Amino acid sequence: MSYYDIDAILTDAEKIPCTFQLDIPDLGYLDNTPSQPLKAGTKVNLPLWLAEMLVIANTGAADNKTFVTFDLPRALGNDVVQALKADPRAVPLRDQSAHFYGLATHMLDLSEEQELGSVLRKTFVTRAAEISLHARKVGSIGHKAKSKGEGASEMGSNLGLGGAGEEFLRGLDEWERSLFRKAHEGAKAGKDWIESVKKN
Amino acid sequence: MALSLPPGLTHAEVSFLAEMETVTIVPRQRLDSIDLLSGKTPSLRPPHRVDLSLWLALLLKKQRRANIVPPPWLHPASLSEIVQRETKENPTAFSEPPPVPSRPNIHQPGIAARQNNNETVQLSPPFQASCTADAPAGYLPYHWMEVAEMLLTFAGDDMISLGSAGEIRGLLRDLTEVRAAKMRDSTKTLGADGENVGGVVSLRGVGAMELAENRGFILGVVDGMRRIGASVEATRREQEEEMGGPGGGGGGGGRGDDGDDDSDEDMGI
Amino acid sequence: MPMYGDLGNKLALHAKRTQNLAHLPPYQAELVRAVTREVRDLDKEVTTLLEPFQGSFDPAADHATACTLLVNHLSMRRNKRCLLAYHRTRTDKLEEHVWNGVDVLDLVAQQQAGGGNGAAISGEGGASSSLSPQEEDYVRQYGDLLAAYKGQWTDIDLTGSLEPPRDLFIDVRVLKDAGEIQTEYGYVAAVHGSSRICCAGH
Repeated sequence: MSYYDIDAILTDAEKIPCTFQLDIPDLGYLDNTPSQPLKAGTKVNLPLWLAEMLVIANTGAADNKTFVTFDLPRALGNDVVQALKADPRAVPLRDQSAHFYGLATHMLDLSEEQELGSVLRKTFVTRAAEISLHARKVGSIGHKAKSKGEGASEMGSNLGLGGAGEEFLRGLDEWERSLFRKAHEGAKAGKDWIESVKKN
Repeated sequence: MALSLPPGLTHAEVSFLAEMETVTIVPRQRLDSIDLLSGKTPSLRPPHRVDLSLWLALLLKKQRRANIVPPPWLHPASLSEIVQRETKENPTAFSEPPPVPSRPNIHQPGIAARQNNNETVQLSPPFQASCTADAPAGYLPYHWMEVAEMLLTFAGDDMISLGSAGEIRGLLRDLTEVRAAKMRDSTKTLGADGENVGGVVSLRGVGAMELAENRGFILGVVDGMRRIGASVEATRREQEEEMGGPGGGGGGGGRGDDGDDDSDEDMGI
Repeated sequence: MPMYGDLGNKLALHAKRTQNLAHLPPYQAELVRAVTREVRDLDKEVTTLLEPFQGSFDPAADHATACTLLVNHLSMRRNKRCLLAYHRTRTDKLEEHVWNGVDVLDLVAQQQAGGGNGAAISGEGGASSSLSPQEEDYVRQYGDLLAAYKGQWTDIDLTGSLEPPRDLFIDVRVLKDAGEIQTEYGYVAAVHGSSRICCAGH
């Protein structure tokens, strides 16, 4: 991940719920009321690139107050965490956020949610094994799935994976899509190599 | 920018390197020694067996100037023994690579010494004679997949002495599948919690082609785990630092940011 | 609710799409202009905000203004990152084309001339080039740079195939007439300009 990383930039556009801690006359537009001051206690969804600094920045006041406080976004809310604990494979992460893990790691940086971290680790690893399985299956059917560009949903469709597999692939977030791509490319390169030996 | 390939060796490169493996042939024609960059080839005198590089052996085979002696590990009995080991005896680990040649040490009787002080024996996979007629049975060498595929494709008739090609291919396919499943599950222990955080299972004994196939995926999983764990790790280090004390030593050294933050600051903004 | 940074995000989305395409989609001149305009507006606002303080602004004394300034600053920084990343993604793509030997400028010319065909590729850009004038210049100069770099080694083709040879025989270009050459396959006549002779792969 670098300064120029497009995925990181898009992840930074994910919004989280924030609450302003003081009145700010000029920022009314953030709450869609440009002509009025933003009142303390107003709840606004702010993108990470803005929220992260406002949460950390110190107002310089004696009570060490910050400009805004934040809550965990719905994508990482209790419902989702409980569902992930029950069966990580059954949750379409993409419906929560296309940048689910990216968003989650930002939130882990901001808050010390020990439990969330361990649920995420378990989730990622369990789903990764499943992703690898599908990537190999797709390869073995021999369809020339476009490994770039089109989403995993299209890779999975029409490949005879069956509804469940297709549904699972559709629910992959960006990190997982990239994993799928890598696993699929590996399996496909193996098949291509065997073909090339025969041709030689 | 110039190198458009992913990190690690590609399948084609692995396959190319596998052609440097030494195999045993029975020449059918005389051929004098050829002076190559890699050294002189042995001169061929039928019907004496000689060991030479796979690429040369395959060339001679295609020209009907030699027959290739199959390596013992490619025998169906050897392969089914390995399948048995991979599925029944140790369903979670990969089977061991071929043992390193050793002999008794004259100065310290009872302690085996590796033969690498003897210049004729090389230990690294491309030069270790793991595919010749003298190679041990029951072990898969580093280039097992490539060598097996090439031998069956180009010297299938020489492999008949082992058993039917279909039987051998079937066993190889079983092995490939069993081991691919292990590869898939190799990262599962990474998710383990708390003190006994697991790692990727040992990849000892995994072949070059299998590595090429799974490198991208496994590195992807490991990197994802690292990123998810980065903030927890940073907190742990801070705590250690605050405590100072003896515990601090362990976490030291690798201090500093993990370089994974948004590098806005790097731009000097 | 339009917000500062929204336009920049559009650029990032364009860049993401570009990464997955084989060709280079049209340069988003309008969007780039809009984002830079936004940065200028933000900068103007900062100047206006700071004017009454005569250069002696104390953030601790005026939290509200400090927060507004921070939001403005972050928005400008965000826009800058989107702009740079968008252009970087495109130059990466252009460099890739140059290394692969695709004549980008020629392609552009074809698109322009192609009319009916070109319209499908250049999409909303109509008949205009998919590269900005600066990008065209960049490609030209990068191409020159690569040619100069490659020129140092006449016997190695830096942009050649990276596949290891699968055959023991490879094609070579014959530079000097060497008459007839005997190989184990019989005779190969090697004359100037023709190209076939064997080399061992290992």
